[in-house]
Amino acid sequence: MVAARQALHEGTRPSGVITRHDIHGDLVVDADVLVIGSGAGGATVAAELAEAGYDVVVLEEGSYYQTRDFTADTSGMVRQLYRDGGATMALGNPPILYQEGRAVGGSTVINGGMSWRTPDKILARWEKEAGLHGIAKDLEAHFARVERRINVAPMDAEAIGTDNHLLKQGADALGWNIIGNLRNQNHCVGSNRCAFGCPTGAKQSSLVSYIPRALHYGARIFADVKVKRIMRHGKRATGAIGTVNGTPHHVTVRAKLVCLSAGAIHTPALLARSGFRTPSGQLGHNLSMHPNVKVVAIFDQPVTNWKGAHQAFQVREFQDQGLVFAAIGMPPSVLAMSFPHRGRQLGELMSRYDNMMLAGMLCEDTRTGRVRSVNGKPQAFYQLADEDAANLKRGVSLLSELLFAAGAKQILLPFHGAKDLHSADDARALLKANTPTRGWEVVTVHMMGTARMGADRSAAVTDAHGMVHDADRLMIADASLFPTPIGVNPMETIMALATRGAAHVIDNARRLLS
Amino acid sequence: MRGMKEMTYQHSESTRIVLRSLVRVICPPEAAPIADDIVAHMALTIGASPAVLQKLIGTGLTTYDLGALPRYGKRARSLSDAQAEAYYVSWEHGLTPLHVQFARAINQLMSLSCYEQPLMMEAVGFRPGPWIDEVRAKRLRVFAADVARQEAQVLAPDPLRPSKPEAR
Ligand SMILES: Cc1cc2nc3c(=O)[nH]c(=O)nc-3n(C[C@H](O)[C@H](O)[C@H](O)COP(=O)(O)OP(=O)(O)OC[C@H]3O[C@@H](n4cnc5c(N)ncnc54)[C@H](O)[C@@H]3O)c2cc1C
Ligand code: SF4
Repeated sequence: MVAARQALHEGTRPSGVITRHDIHGDLVVDADVLVIGSGAGGATVAAELAEAGYDVVVLEEGSYYQTRDFTADTSGMVRQLYRDGGATMALGNPPILYQEGRAVGGSTVINGGMSWRTPDKILARWEKEAGLHGIAKDLEAHFARVERRINVAPMDAEAIGTDNHLLKQGADALGWNIIGNLRNQNHCVGSNRCAFGCPTGAKQSSLVSYIPRALHYGARIFADVKVKRIMRHGKRATGAIGTVNGTPHHVTVRAKLVCLSAGAIHTPALLARSGFRTPSGQLGHNLSMHPNVKVVAIFDQPVTNWKGAHQAFQVREFQDQGLVFAAIGMPPSVLAMSFPHRGRQLGELMSRYDNMMLAGMLCEDTRTGRVRSVNGKPQAFYQLADEDAANLKRGVSLLSELLFAAGAKQILLPFHGAKDLHSADDARALLKANTPTRGWEVVTVHMMGTARMGADRSAAVTDAHGMVHDADRLMIADASLFPTPIGVNPMETIMALATRGAAHVIDNARRLLS
Repeated sequence: MRGMKEMTYQHSESTRIVLRSLVRVICPPEAAPIADDIVAHMALTIGASPAVLQKLIGTGLTTYDLGALPRYGKRARSLSDAQAEAYYVSWEHGLTPLHVQFARAINQLMSLSCYEQPLMMEAVGFRPGPWIDEVRAKRLRVFAADVARQEAQVLAPDPLRPSKPEAR
């Protein structure tokens, strides 16, 4: 059993974490279980199966960082922790900028820590539409277990910053439903650096929860190893081959069971390039994105949006209509980048940075896109549906109304060429304005559904537990599994599904792990 | 050795000169003394982006540079301040969506790098380093017991299934 302490206090790298510096030639490793990817899904499966006594190996393309590596250097953190420096794009009109983590801990290292169970209405839909009978009841214990592990809790009041107080003030003034966010944190102190790696160790990302746990129970984690192909013998997955970043070396892992947790963009691509075909033909289809737009509000008083807990509240008034609003603090460089202004005008605008507040929304989308392989690399295609675009525009109008109710004096829109708003009347009038979607700035951090689970093998890629239909000893545990978008932040759902998948493996060990 | 891509990308001399000439157009005047730092920072950002984007930026900048010749008889890099402004505007509201997108992309990349400079962050009152130090120390001081409890919880036995694995 390997001892692993919390990343925050690690003077050195814990044993059990192997990086490119440790690998000086080709390696062949044997394991009971190979997990590909160490994010929300992969780290959870790895910890659960390691604790159950299995020999678990994780291959992760990103590097291993510790809490002390997370500094105030914003763009340095983005280059290290985000795939392609955060510049990944789903093609469509408008194109959608999406972001994924690439590090041990996956996207949980850079996420906001919002931790919500799957809404009941979504689970009911999954039961009905995907034939996942009993999943709502089944997941209850797994949600509770995940919440314990990653310490899902309300925020300490004193960590909440001015931007979030303003959001609440605006919602209260309009009588709208606003709730405190539940987040996976242990005394978050409001450094507002969640998106760049939590520098205090408060956020209980997989990096400081499931990963140390997996190591503690004997798992080995190979960082800096990009899996090129899953090995198979007929329909049976037998392991995987990866390359060590920046070296000519290969790592081959032979395993009794392969769990694919590379996220909703890479999981379908890796399956496809490894020659797995599923009877449904749905691999890579069904991509949901929770498209997201943001506005910048300028107040007379200082907001100092970079101090205070990340997204302490969520406006849930319009959740039934697929819209959730939140305030998001961001460094000046990120805001400057989002403005069309330049030169002297940019300087004048940015001189009011301290008075700015950034707020955005996620939209439960109604249309799906697709991940295809282009020159061996995954490429996402996603066309924003007209009704989702209308919903987002309505969301911008409503959110702007809220911000004016909170005292905003000016609002900058995410629609290219649109005039700034100066009053609630302007916000309402926006609904009638012509704002062609090709000039919209749409972003997302929630990609889901590209290997959806379901009872019907002719419609789904995996069964109800994530076992790939028409393949043997191959499971998926990540955001790809979602049959539909869920309308709230997805991390906790992914972790609960991964826990459920791990329980299924343990219950069927004789068949899956002999 | 982290940030592999960072080390493999470097601006070509031509790219560097064209970008340097765009600082006066895109960044606020107060950024002029740090133009070289801004351009150097852009290399890091471009280096971390997908290879296809790196190529597009290189090709786009060459086209931008040479595209000034028919109108001004000189390259974009050699235009006067007023000419440089007018030429950029002609791309910003450009002939084709490609011109517009390219101008926007360069604006985004350069604005990001501009406000990543200590001088510019300081000018807008953004001082995250001391703030992080302050709250990190506070957390460990005020909540030490809870922090330790959570760390212990992360490693404490809590088997998902009571029985021993069948396969072992
Ligand atoms: C900026 C940001 C903020 C977010 N905020 C929230 C939030 O507040 N709450 C919430 O619930 N969700 C949030 N999310 C979303 C959430 O973090 C993700 O949905 C979740 O982490 C996805 O889990 P996953 O296991 O599918 O993939 P990931 O967590 O992305 O992990 C996949 C891992 O697989 C690795 N990988 C990929 N391909 C390979 C390969 N070929 N070989 C080896 N390794 C590979 C990747 O490097 C990555 O580390 C946010 C995401 C981002 C990016
Ligand atoms: S806001 Fe809280 S959870 Fe986020 S980085 Fe700061 S201390 Fe960590």
